[in-house]
Amino acid sequence: MNVTVPPIPAEYDAYRERLRQFIATHKPSLDWKPRTGLRVPETAADVEALKRWVGALYDAGYVLQRFSEQPLDEFEQRILTEELARTGIPYVLGNPLVGGALVAYGTAEQKATYLPPMARGEHIWSQLFSEPNAGSDLTGLQTRGRLDGDDYLIDGQKVWTTWASWSDFGYLLARTEPVAGAAGITAFVLPMNLPGIDVRPLREMTGTTDFNEVFFDGVRVPASNVIGKPGEGWKVAAASLVTERGGVGAAGSGDSVNGLVRLAREHQRDGRPRIDDSSVRQDIGAYAARSRIQKYLSYQVATKAANGTIGAADAPLTKVWYSELNLEMAEYGLSLQGARAALAEGDPEAYQDGLWQDMFLYARAWTIAGGSNEIMRNLIAERGLGLPREPRGS
Amino acid sequence: MDFAFNEDQELLRQTTRRFLENRQSLQSVRQVLESDDVFDRSVWRSGAELGWTAMLIPEDYDGGSVTDQPLVDLAVLAQELGRVLYPGPFIPTNVVADALAASGSEAQRKDLLPLIAAGESVAAWCTTGDGSPYVRSVAVDATAVPDGYRLDGVARYVHGAGSADVLLVAAKSEEGLVHLLVPGHSVGVDVRRLVGLDLSRRLGEVRFEAVPVAASSVVGTAGAEGEAILARGLRLASVLQAAEAVGAAEYLFQATVQYAKDRVQFGRPIGSFQALKHRFADMHISMEAMRVAAQYAALAVADGQPDAEEAVAVAGSYVKEAFSAMCGEALQLHGGIGFTWEHDVHVFLRRAKTDQVLYGDPAWHRERLCQLIEAATAVENAK
Repeated sequence: MNVTVPPIPAEYDAYRERLRQFIATHKPSLDWKPRTGLRVPETAADVEALKRWVGALYDAGYVLQRFSEQPLDEFEQRILTEELARTGIPYVLGNPLVGGALVAYGTAEQKATYLPPMARGEHIWSQLFSEPNAGSDLTGLQTRGRLDGDDYLIDGQKVWTTWASWSDFGYLLARTEPVAGAAGITAFVLPMNLPGIDVRPLREMTGTTDFNEVFFDGVRVPASNVIGKPGEGWKVAAASLVTERGGVGAAGSGDSVNGLVRLAREHQRDGRPRIDDSSVRQDIGAYAARSRIQKYLSYQVATKAANGTIGAADAPLTKVWYSELNLEMAEYGLSLQGARAALAEGDPEAYQDGLWQDMFLYARAWTIAGGSNEIMRNLIAERGLGLPREPRGS
Repeated sequence: MDFAFNEDQELLRQTTRRFLENRQSLQSVRQVLESDDVFDRSVWRSGAELGWTAMLIPEDYDGGSVTDQPLVDLAVLAQELGRVLYPGPFIPTNVVADALAASGSEAQRKDLLPLIAAGESVAAWCTTGDGSPYVRSVAVDATAVPDGYRLDGVARYVHGAGSADVLLVAAKSEEGLVHLLVPGHSVGVDVRRLVGLDLSRRLGEVRFEAVPVAASSVVGTAGAEGEAILARGLRLASVLQAAEAVGAAEYLFQATVQYAKDRVQFGRPIGSFQALKHRFADMHISMEAMRVAAQYAALAVADGQPDAEEAVAVAGSYVKEAFSAMCGEALQLHGGIGFTWEHDVHVFLRRAKTDQVLYGDPAWHRERLCQLIEAATAVENAK
């Protein structure tokens, strides 16, 4: 049994130094304010700057493993993701999950056309899955694709689409076959500049605009844009959804624990730092335990992935664990601030310019997105534990 | 990344499970719950042949482990023993063996370790007067006398005190905390069997009245090393306790899932109701969290990882509470049958609640965790 990550050998120092210099030279300055969560730039100038940034990285040979079919040097990848994460700005633009679908089900031509520009940041993608009437029950989606000659005509509506207003292509699920449920669904590559597509930014409870609504009115898309075969869309999508749920849990919460300690040091109650209050110390200890367990769970998932023994309950478990811990820690972060928690971003007295208030609001996204936690619990109980399935309505 | 027990350890698990099915099943434990002594020495001796007491003992003293991570091997055994609520002094005997292996004199090791490894000698660990892990709660005084000490005082909540051949006693001396070996049946040592909430283990109150102990029976030295022995023992006990809890909780959880599939009300298995399914999902989540926390603690301590202290505090706080909560849920989901004496669930619940307060309660472990994170972030800030 072993979870130690081999230390990066000294000969890689030169690579890191080169990369740091590259970042110092090319890192764009943005209007955008870093926040927790999957956040999207709000101006075209930021998007253009980010595209140039990702393109420059790629052209200089700083390529992420997820965008390469060749296995890349493991130590270089670690250094690359560490250093890019430290910049605090995105280095993957849009929602790249279509990549997995294309690798598994795409034609050679589709792969050649779409994968390299996605890696270079030239093409920004978004995922067109959720609908107003198909959230938890995604197989009930109603967006239609009607075959008309060599094209499909798409009509319907999607929602909760990140990056849609800046995206060049959409990874679309639509109902093309005359059957209900999963078997009627087909996956498409949808160029977002086609006539009949209307993207409307959606302002969320955070006050920021990270999602969109997307409307389709007779959008004509060639049948050659189908990923896999007509009616296989659910299979195509299943793999990427699993990745997304696992991905939610991969985000760390260790930083937030340190943030809570800092908050408790910097705020007082009745003249005493909150960190001296034994009930606060107990709470921080409890959050720290859950945060560390999240890390241990990731070791277990990585081991199962390597051994091919991932079970149906594993991704839902990680998703529930992370999203609920994240929400509780954000709420606790506010409670440590006392009345100051009433201030938000923009007030000069707000702690860390309202970072925790934004985290508190955005945390609500994670318990819903990628399959609500209630659906995750159904999956754990039914597919993980083998309890009887929920009865289905007609 | 290899965060799983290996093939040899899984083989050890199977062998142990089969042995326990034959010799010390949950049913057999239940049969002796109300007798004075629940400890069966013949089972212990056979268990010793399977390595129950040998893992932490060096080969020179007849010990030996399955892999080069002896504590991880021992955690496999602990899980299996937890599954049947094994009554014997598995944790204290291993703590004492480990203390001797790490800090004992050559004579102490030669005298005791082979006997412990062979299952001929069982040990108990006398720590504090109130069962807490605090040095200041040690309530035995070691008064210096020519060529040794005289012990006076009391240690409580001592697992296996009544059947122990040898006691490792923490005592306060002028030089600080000191650990001493005392034969279990020495003159002046009086053991009262406590009437316990946990029916599957016997705890004792051990009184020392002018018990003479030779200087040669001091383990290590008094002072800083004495405190280190206490800390090391608590760490080990917490790791083993967490592993036992995982085994016990897993057995009970599986039994409860099965019950929910079999029990029919309103014409449906009760496990088909979503209100219950979501509770089962939460139990599964907590089961896996317990499992990884206990497993990581064993690994981190076995390998001496820099985050070993932290990992023990995670296990000591989270697993103890989750085990108890799991038993409570199992009882509720069994309904009325779970409230009967005849049903097993209360025996688990009693064990879980008792485990919670021994070898450091969850609050103690949480405070430790907070301290460790404070120290780490102080260093970070200073950088």
